[in-house]
Amino acid sequence: MVEALIGDEAFIKGCAAIGAGLAVGLTGIGAGFAESGIGAAAVGAIAEDRGFLGIGLLFTVIPETIVIFGLVISFILMFAFG
Amino acid sequence: MFSSTKAAYAYIVARTKVMKSKLLKAEDFRKLLNMDFDEIMRFLEETEYKKEIDEIAYKYTGPKLLDYALFTNLAKTYRKIYSVSFGNPKILIGQYLRRWDVWNLINILRGKNANLPNEVVEDTLVPAGELSSEYLKSLLTKDINEIIKEFEGTIYHEALSKLGSTSLSFIEDQLWKSYYKALISIKAEDIETKVFLNFVKMEIDLRNVKTLLRLKAEGDTAEDIIARIVPGGYELTEDESRKLATTSFDEMLRALEGFWFWKVSSVDDLARTEIEFDRIWIEAIAKRASNYPLSILPVLQYIILKKVEVDDLRILGWGKWHKLPNEELEKQMVII
Repeated sequence: MVEALIGDEAFIKGCAAIGAGLAVGLTGIGAGFAESGIGAAAVGAIAEDRGFLGIGLLFTVIPETIVIFGLVISFILMFAFG
Repeated sequence: MFSSTKAAYAYIVARTKVMKSKLLKAEDFRKLLNMDFDEIMRFLEETEYKKEIDEIAYKYTGPKLLDYALFTNLAKTYRKIYSVSFGNPKILIGQYLRRWDVWNLINILRGKNANLPNEVVEDTLVPAGELSSEYLKSLLTKDINEIIKEFEGTIYHEALSKLGSTSLSFIEDQLWKSYYKALISIKAEDIETKVFLNFVKMEIDLRNVKTLLRLKAEGDTAEDIIARIVPGGYELTEDESRKLATTSFDEMLRALEGFWFWKVSSVDDLARTEIEFDRIWIEAIAKRASNYPLSILPVLQYIILKKVEVDDLRILGWGKWHKLPNEELEKQMVII
């Protein structure tokens, strides 16, 4: 029914845009969940000893890599179909 | 919800892990054993105890200074853990630290019983529980009946109301019983609380086995022993303890084999056996804390290790002051 209303190309573009949005959005939520625990632990350790600032920051941003993957997927989708 | 609970544990566990790394190591204690009292004090002035030693050095000297600094630091550390935690861990830590209310109450009662001056009792208080330092000091100025009245409506009133009609050591056991009863009555709604309750129950096991061994060796009657048993043990349940209380000492020793805590080498010297139990306890919590890293256990492990450190330093300080041989001190200390 949807295909009847819009053309094939527009349909694929739309799906690619939704996919790109999901890739960034879901990885962002995932990273947020992961970072809540790591960030809390890092702040706890830094509060006791400032020497943990570097390592704490490093561990906190590690889940961010998943967002980069999501971003890459979204770019691929947008460049391929956008 | 999931993440906020986990975050609350992650925060306090990370904080206490860093605090734990600052505790004195076994090799520090071995070094301290070869020092005299003044050298020990100088060593401690370069550790976490510096502030407390400097604060009170004008008033006290010798082991009294050490005692005061250690107790003040202990209370400050525990209060800090409670104040920086939040959510479910804060509730559990607060409940567990109420043991210091019992400790302080017992010290006040002992002081009153022995007619000790208030200043002497005041120095032994560790205001790490619910009752503030000011409130505890106000209790010191009251007589026994006023203290009983003061605790009306609390979990301690039932035990305190027996003051005068029975021995103080019995009242002390009843106070500890009230404390543990209140702890195990906490509803285990999540895994973290269940882990906490199991920890408390294991602690009850150790308390009960120590009571059983001590009172059996002293030849107390089964009724006396049963009256002092704390209900709600982990493996050593109330029924089990009751059964053991009615058997002979040797039969009891045989029956205790197989319990999680029964790894002691001998029971010839009960004071040493109790220290062995403390070591077994420390090992058991360390194992459980590593099995449940995001729970209250690493925090409780630190709470216990800090107390053991303070106790060991007191033994060391007083022992060195009275020129006791190192071998004797080593036997008394838990961390060696």
